[in-house]
Amino acid sequence: MTTLLAGLSVVLLGGLAAVILARWPRWAASVHRIATGAGALVALVSPLKVLGGAHLPTLTLPTNVPGGAWTFGLDALSAWFLIPVLLAGTAAAIFGTSYLAGQEEEGSVPRAHLGMAVLLVALGLVLTAQATLAFLASWEVMALAGYFLVVFEDRRPEVRRAGMVYLIATHAGTLLLVVVFGLWGNRAFDLSFASLAHAAPALGSLHAVLLTLGLLGFGLKAGFVPLHFWLPEAHAAAPSHVSAIMSGVVIKTGIYGVLRLLVLLGAPPPWWSFGVLLLGVCSGVLGVLWALAQHDLKRLLAYHSVENIGIILLGLGAGALGLSYRSPLLAVLGFLGAVLHVLNHALFKSLLFLQAGSVLRATGSRELEHLGGLGRRMPLTWLGFVVGSAAIVGLPPLNGFVSEWVVFQALFSAGSSRTPASLALFGAAALGLVGGLALACFAKVCGSVFLGHPRTPAALAAREVGPGFWGPAAVLAAACLVVGVMPWLAIGPAVRVAGQLAGVPWARAAALTRPARDAAQQIALLAALLAGTVAVLAMARTWALRRAGAVATSETWACGYPRTSARMQYSASSFAAPLVALFGPLAGVVVHRRADGFATHPVNLALERILVPLWEATQRASARIRPIQHGRLQLYLLYIVATVALLLFYLAASGGKP
Amino acid sequence: MTSWLCFGLALVLAPLLPGVAQRTKSWLTGRRGPPVLQLYWDLARLWRKGAVFSSVAGASFRLGPVVFAASGVAAAMLLPFANNPALIRFPGDFVAFAGVLALGRFALVLAALDTGSSFEGMGASREAAFGSLSEPVLVLCFAALALASQELSLSGMLGPALPSWWAAGPALAMVGAGVFLVTLAETGRVPVDDPATHLELTMIHEVMVLDHSGPDFALIHYAAALKLTLLGTLLAGVLVPAGQAAAVVRIAGWLGGLLALAVAIGVVESVMARLRLARVPQLLTSAAVLPGFAIILLLSRAA
Amino acid sequence: MTPAGSLLLIAVVLTDFAVLATSRLSTGIRTIGLQGLLLAALPVALHPAWSLHTAALAVGTALVKAGILPRFLNWAIREANVRREMEPLIGYGASVLLGAAAVGVAFVVAPALPLPDGRGSLLVAAALANVLAGLLVLTTRRKALTQVVGYLMLENGVFVFGLTQTEQVPFLLELGVLLDVFVGVFIMGIVVFHINREFDSISSARLEELKDI
Repeated sequence: MTTLLAGLSVVLLGGLAAVILARWPRWAASVHRIATGAGALVALVSPLKVLGGAHLPTLTLPTNVPGGAWTFGLDALSAWFLIPVLLAGTAAAIFGTSYLAGQEEEGSVPRAHLGMAVLLVALGLVLTAQATLAFLASWEVMALAGYFLVVFEDRRPEVRRAGMVYLIATHAGTLLLVVVFGLWGNRAFDLSFASLAHAAPALGSLHAVLLTLGLLGFGLKAGFVPLHFWLPEAHAAAPSHVSAIMSGVVIKTGIYGVLRLLVLLGAPPPWWSFGVLLLGVCSGVLGVLWALAQHDLKRLLAYHSVENIGIILLGLGAGALGLSYRSPLLAVLGFLGAVLHVLNHALFKSLLFLQAGSVLRATGSRELEHLGGLGRRMPLTWLGFVVGSAAIVGLPPLNGFVSEWVVFQALFSAGSSRTPASLALFGAAALGLVGGLALACFAKVCGSVFLGHPRTPAALAAREVGPGFWGPAAVLAAACLVVGVMPWLAIGPAVRVAGQLAGVPWARAAALTRPARDAAQQIALLAALLAGTVAVLAMARTWALRRAGAVATSETWACGYPRTSARMQYSASSFAAPLVALFGPLAGVVVHRRADGFATHPVNLALERILVPLWEATQRASARIRPIQHGRLQLYLLYIVATVALLLFYLAASGGKP
Repeated sequence: MTSWLCFGLALVLAPLLPGVAQRTKSWLTGRRGPPVLQLYWDLARLWRKGAVFSSVAGASFRLGPVVFAASGVAAAMLLPFANNPALIRFPGDFVAFAGVLALGRFALVLAALDTGSSFEGMGASREAAFGSLSEPVLVLCFAALALASQELSLSGMLGPALPSWWAAGPALAMVGAGVFLVTLAETGRVPVDDPATHLELTMIHEVMVLDHSGPDFALIHYAAALKLTLLGTLLAGVLVPAGQAAAVVRIAGWLGGLLALAVAIGVVESVMARLRLARVPQLLTSAAVLPGFAIILLLSRAA
Repeated sequence: MTPAGSLLLIAVVLTDFAVLATSRLSTGIRTIGLQGLLLAALPVALHPAWSLHTAALAVGTALVKAGILPRFLNWAIREANVRREMEPLIGYGASVLLGAAAVGVAFVVAPALPLPDGRGSLLVAAALANVLAGLLVLTTRRKALTQVVGYLMLENGVFVFGLTQTEQVPFLLELGVLLDVFVGVFIMGIVVFHINREFDSISSARLEELKDI
């Protein structure tokens, strides 16, 4: 624990030094970079020890404020979530020193470095706090540091608006958390997590209320549908390295909160678990559909965060079902998938945002329709982006595949569980759909940004970025590959976390996940064979071409039309058109079809269709009762169907005793 | 040993299936048609030829076909042929099977987009769209099989643990129908795509590989045939009850199943027209309902 | 439940999906006819012991549901020059998915329903699925004729439901067949009153105009 705090202090001191050295921006950046890197390396020791099975002593600060002493400690769950903070967060911070160098907001750059350092430290404290007040205080520091980083480019009005929406959302979440801990603390000795957990079995009906309110409160941070309304705007408005840490790491604290709540409160009721599963399905499918309709690179990536939170919730829901129906296997597998995806998403999403930042710096644009052909001009950035894309789509042999594989197994074993949990099997179909749609979406992004002709002079003039840009990205890409090819490195420690969440001893969890851990070696074998086949076929192809000798270069074949231009390429919107046309009504996508262009825009349904109208609707509530009498035969019949279905459910639920 | 033999057989015999389908089609429409071995000659000819590369295309264009073919080979290693255990098998390997096939699709789509051609972009867009819809169907089929056999690996699902036709006939039939429709969609066959069309605007798979030539084109053709063989093997595994029979019998059953699939594709292509593109999602939705209903049946029986 | 019986019931549910998926009126009517034929075979498959009663019931059902009614509907199409499309209010894909959800609900609810009979919940589930799919067709299809198709599906569900009760109430099924007479009256009424008009003009959507403002 002290090693961790020492490391975090170094990070914080580096940030402070950056502000002090503000007059020499290069020095400030270097100090911040070195301090963050070194501090994170030192801090990484403690969580790795805990995940290896060690028990570290907790740190208690005696205080006079009510609510008991402030305790900080590391268990497996905290340690696991610290890994992405220290890996992806540090990579993003180091990338930021290059990314912000020479910006118009020159004066505020060192303050941004300090904000980053504060954010990293606050993340570390949120994840280790074991008392409510310490937790909420760190939570608030984290939220505010995030806010100041998001509004870094506050000259632009849309940035200010995005920041404001973010601020309101995060405080609404905090308010809910205050309610949760307040209600709970009433029944407990004090507000430390230990006494809260002690009070949990006697909560009665409050148990479910706390779980639900907590899910909503933490959900506002995690950003699942329909609480995601602030997320795409805030993540797109922030500087790219901030987007990387917000999307990759900060939203995971919401997931951490839900998991912590489960650990403290114990097994949830089945309807709560099914609800989480349903939220996962909605977030996954809708998130990727919104991303498909998007043609702003960073906003698209932000919507993919909604999708990936959905995948995490699918695993979490399966695990919670395992708790509800007392099936340790299901619980362990589900939570294993969820926490693995937390790590993997942090790695590949940060990587993708960093690459988007490089593209933005090189071309000045993040509009898909204005890019193109960057693969030849920025080969390293392209390589990093394609690795991240393959990982987020869940293709072997990268890390995204590993966690989706575990989530699939969890859903399938739920199917064979011979309990009502078996309905979770249909979540697997949703996961398959999400994977397929994500593939289409990233094919669109890769194609329109990196392949084909450059669509604008800016894209034509793009040059590869420097090592300060691709260095941190390379580390993340390597991590994606390592986890994908050697999954046991991640699965081994993750089993410890899953065991803690499922409430089974480590040995039992290890025994239950034995098949998955053995399979990890088969995955490595598959990756090796795949790479070998690619190499052999590539060599054979080169050899065949050399022997034939007749290799020519020519224009792209356009079915006889001789004068093709960059404007004739398939645009990103057109690429996604078949799927948008199909799912548009479901996801609320607005299509603009004019003679000179075709574009699609997702509507921020939760904000524009729910929150704003909800306000207006409450004012006109009385006037809105009448439209029930719509006069449509189909509608009346629908009422009958709904009533019949409700009655059937009532009969089924009451077991025939009305 | 038998697993290796079957793996080799699948790789060698793959180009035969499109030939059989074509021959059936020709025969049913009163023509003689090309020889059954035509694809082998085509592949040999393409492999010996040179190639023309677009000045726009880069490494993605050149690597695409290689990865596509390699993904087919890797998927073949994950599949149990003729009820023999697969070369690589582990719980949840069906995810890897679908993932490896998706990797091939991703590589081919990127290769198509690398040319900057609007035609190829169009083909790639359709391939990605329909591929994303056939993925959940495939997952639902695997889910039904997993439920019926209580196994989590392909070798287990299609092995002796799969219940007999007598015990779970309707469910198996619906899963089989689902796999068949996925096969048609994924391998670019009527009614989703027409391999024999001449109009670029109506093509999916063929227009996506418009710019490839020489050995690259040979790799794509081979890998497409291999994909058909793999999905056909899956179908045969579901529909041909082999159980504990001798290895020779099982291999004969598997090859017979593949042959029947090729003939069935030929029949479908001669009696049906292509669907309008807007109707393809509807076909795939219906395809999803079949294994979905199978799952409901299996679940209600288990409960 | 005999294997043949469960096979028939599954086929009945599959025909529901076919009606939901098809865009052509004639295919829908043909499918409904097929469903009638399957239903006619059901009592025979469920009661392997032959009796004059079941045989007569099977023949009668086949005659009415697979013979007379489809012909009658086709005649109505010809007679009133109806366009050959289903004209759904929601897409076909969505219809099929909703239908699948309805079937799922039916299969989840059926085993828990308090019925005196222990003859297997598949029968109840299939009946409920049919009723719900019929209601779905009723609510999502615009034309009067498609509403008849939906009503027929609903009524077939009631028929299957009646099969669970044949031991207690032997005449329930005959009563069920009588319901078909009502379908006939339904069609006759429409045809007689609008014999020279298109069915579109009596689209039930127009009833909306009746509401008071």
